[in-house]
Amino acid sequence: MTPRVRTALFGVAALAILPVLIHVLPHLPKFGDHPSPYGDAVTASAPVARQTQNIVTALNFDYRGFDTLGEEFILLCAVTGVTVLLRGSRGEETSARPGQVHGRPILPPGESVTLISRILGILVLVLGLSISLHATSTPGGGFQGGVVIASGFLLVLLGEAYRGWRAMIRSEMMDALEAFGAMLFVACGFAGLCVGTPFMTNVLPLGTAGSVWAGGLMLVINAGVTCAVCGGFAVLFLEFLEETRVDPGAEE
Amino acid sequence: MTASWLPWIVAAWLFGIGLYGIISSRHYVHLIGCLAVVQSATYVLLLSIGYRHGAGPPFFHPHPPGTPSVDPVVQVLVLTDIVVGATVTALLLALVQQLQRRRGVVDPQQAAPLR
Repeated sequence: MTPRVRTALFGVAALAILPVLIHVLPHLPKFGDHPSPYGDAVTASAPVARQTQNIVTALNFDYRGFDTLGEEFILLCAVTGVTVLLRGSRGEETSARPGQVHGRPILPPGESVTLISRILGILVLVLGLSISLHATSTPGGGFQGGVVIASGFLLVLLGEAYRGWRAMIRSEMMDALEAFGAMLFVACGFAGLCVGTPFMTNVLPLGTAGSVWAGGLMLVINAGVTCAVCGGFAVLFLEFLEETRVDPGAEE
Repeated sequence: MTASWLPWIVAAWLFGIGLYGIISSRHYVHLIGCLAVVQSATYVLLLSIGYRHGAGPPFFHPHPPGTPSVDPVVQVLVLTDIVVGATVTALLLALVQQLQRRRGVVDPQQAAPLR
């Protein structure tokens, strides 16, 4: 199919769907006044039934926990796919040098860069952990916190250069962290089955809303998601950055 | 009147330009960027559906439970999808990287069909 035919086909399809869109638009529920019975029911019940202030977390790790389990495994599959595609063709060698554009030597990071990266790295780690730990009592959670923590790992590359980054962010550790997180999530699901309740029932004591410890099993699932997301993103950063290195076999 | 349509129009527009980008793309990385634009149309749509005039976030502190709030269900869907979508984008980029390495092709219009 030539580009011209393809564009023409797109134009025809767009023209065909445009009247439908124009016909449907006025009949859509009015913006800002959409009925959401399911959301309202959860919002009404969660603060007492699940002792959470953050309804999104209650939905994510409890009411719709099974759905989130599926999402978690999409994440695991995607990260595994990236690892198989990139690491598979490259091997697991860690003794490589960073890649280099011809005529542009790699300078070690300046002292101020290292200092700022070290300070910021700790702050980002603490921020991520805080966002993640306060999943039920503030608008935080494992998904957001995990991504923040993993982003902080890149500061290691900035401040400590390639060698330091490879020495500190071990790929076996990050693989294990991701797998452990996903496993913890599944184990939480089976915790309900072990005491004779349906899969992923919140079997732990709920505590009181507002406390960091409120939410029961949600906190464990949240910890699992934090580990899995953090580990998964760290593996992604590692695999893509490894693509820029010089192959150990191709020494000049 | 038109203001109440605006979110739906924005979602449809994002979907449309993303799709146009995909069919006219000359580079796989650009194509994946366009796919992310199409995906973000669903975020705009979902969050617009959940929005409610005069309502607060689905989070109850210090205001007590029972205060009007926007729909938390769509927020959960968008939250997980942003994180999962990022890893799926990474998977697609890894595929492109392999394609470039093995066949030296990054233009979807030059790529021969896989046999």
